[in-house]
This record gives sequence, C-alpha cells and structure tokens, in this order.
Amino acid sequence: MAKMTLEELRNLRDAKKKEMTQRDGNEKSAQIIIGMGTCGIAAGAKGAFDAFLDELDSRNVTDTKITQTGCMGLCFSEPTVEVDVPGMPRVIYGNVDAKVARRIVTEHIIGKALVSDHIFDKPAADIIK
Amino acid sequence: MHATICDLITDLVQNSIEAQATEISLNVEETKTNLNIAIVDNGKGMSASTLKKAKDPFWSDGIKHKHRKVGLGLPFLFQTAEMTGGNVAIESEEGNGTTATITFDPAHVDLPVFGNFTTAAVTLMTYGFDGNLEIRHCLDEKEYSIEKQELIEILGDLNDLESLILLKEYISSNEEELRKT
Repeated sequence: MAKMTLEELRNLRDAKKKEMTQRDGNEKSAQIIIGMGTCGIAAGAKGAFDAFLDELDSRNVTDTKITQTGCMGLCFSEPTVEVDVPGMPRVIYGNVDAKVARRIVTEHIIGKALVSDHIFDKPAADIIK
Repeated sequence: MHATICDLITDLVQNSIEAQATEISLNVEETKTNLNIAIVDNGKGMSASTLKKAKDPFWSDGIKHKHRKVGLGLPFLFQTAEMTGGNVAIESEEGNGTTATITFDPAHVDLPVFGNFTTAAVTLMTYGFDGNLEIRHCLDEKEYSIEKQELIEILGDLNDLESLILLKEYISSNEEELRKT
C-alpha cells in the first residue's frame, strides 16, 4: 500500500459515510470493551483487538464500537473483554485470545448466542462503584 | 518484562492517560545504534517519594484497586532497561505532568522485539480520553506523525468500527513507508 495522505483518509471516510447513511441507522450498536491494563497488554489484548477488527471487517459487521479500558480486576483471566449487544445480557469474557475474539464475533455478535466457556460474569467487586 | 517494546510503550502512555493528562506526546526514534522513546504528559504528576515507590513492583497507590499490592508498569520499564544496559529518566512534578525519556540499545540480545507499532498506535489513539495525543515515529531519516484531534476531525468518532479500520489502514501505510528501503 502506498502511503496514505490525510486528504485521502478524509475522502475514504466521506465515501464510507455515504454508504452508511444509505443503511438503516436506527439500531443501537454493539459495544466491545477490551481491558488494556498492564495485565491485558502482557496477556495479548492487542492480538485480540486486531482479531476483533479483522473479523468484524471481513464479516461486514458495521454498527459496532470498540473501546478500551484499564484493568478490570480479573488479571488472572486476561485478556478480558466486555461485550454489550442490545437485547442480550452484558457479559465479560476471559482468556480472549485471537481465536476466542473471532468466536465472539461470529457466535455472540452475529449469532446472538453467548460463548459460554469463556464467560467471567462481571468486573471484580473492588472496582464496581 | 513485556513481550515487545510496543507493549511497553502502550503501558507507559496509558499511565499518562490514567494521570488525567490532556496533552500527551509520544516520540519514538529508531536508528541503528539507538532506540529512543520519549513520553511527555501534562497529567497530575508524582512527588519524588511517589516516583520512588512507583519503581517498586509491590507498590500501588490503591486508588483504582483498593486491595491491590502490585503495580508492574514502571517496574517492567526499569527491569528492561537494567537487563539490557538501557537508560531511563523520569522527571515528574506534582500537578505539572511527567516526562519519561528512555534509551535502549537495539542490538542488545536481551531487548524484547520491537513489536507491532500500528496496533499500538491504533489502540492508543482510540483509548477513551478527551485530550490530545501526538505520536511521532522516526526511523533513521524518515518520520511521520499523527495527532488525535486531527484524526477525530477527519474520521469522527474514532471508536466506530469504520473509523478504526480506516485509522489502521492509515497508520499501517505510514509504517510501511517508514520501513521501505
């Protein structure tokens, strides 16, 4: 790929925006929150981040937000990822490597079924306000 | 220590974010003989005694996690420097921010691999905080820089999947240009 300029980036964004407004934009979007504390980073959260991005893109999922947070207090099960899909319970997944991240996209976000073998419920008690 | 230099950088910039900085600059310069990393923030800073304690892996300020007795971010940095003959200088003033200046020897056999700078930059740019982050990456004579507020102006909400994908493409094209011989 040749080096992209800011102007080219702007044009690409405008083209995508046009595409988006043609779709039905009323649905609330799904949200993925990745724990990126020292523990998450050390356990490979960036690998999970890349896998989420790649899998969502290749499956043409669009109405999704990916954000990050610090440590969720579950360092033993890093990388941890919180997934909030409208109409489904909000869950925290543990030990999310690239493979599990791809499963979360296909099974949870697209298939609307929980990935049961990686559920860790909610953040540790000492960080819930 | 962290598996890659980029993991270490992510961790350190995140310290700036958690110190409520509104202006952060990350400068990474690679040459044949030196790997220089500078992180400057205007966050809440640390007193000399806090900074001294922060170097201890068995110390944490206890604000975010009440019962926690470890804090490994800065100790990872000092460990890496100590093991590879690197140099770390942290200057901090309470209320005024922190500057970390790091020099590593890229040829040292124990230095972790550099890692994926594109992913590090994308995650840092899209980590939720309201301020501005400027990232500059130089390799020998070549360099590029990106600025968070400018990217938001062009892409809108950076955490939208569409923005994330474009941002990754943009940074990765700049990285490729940097590595091209």
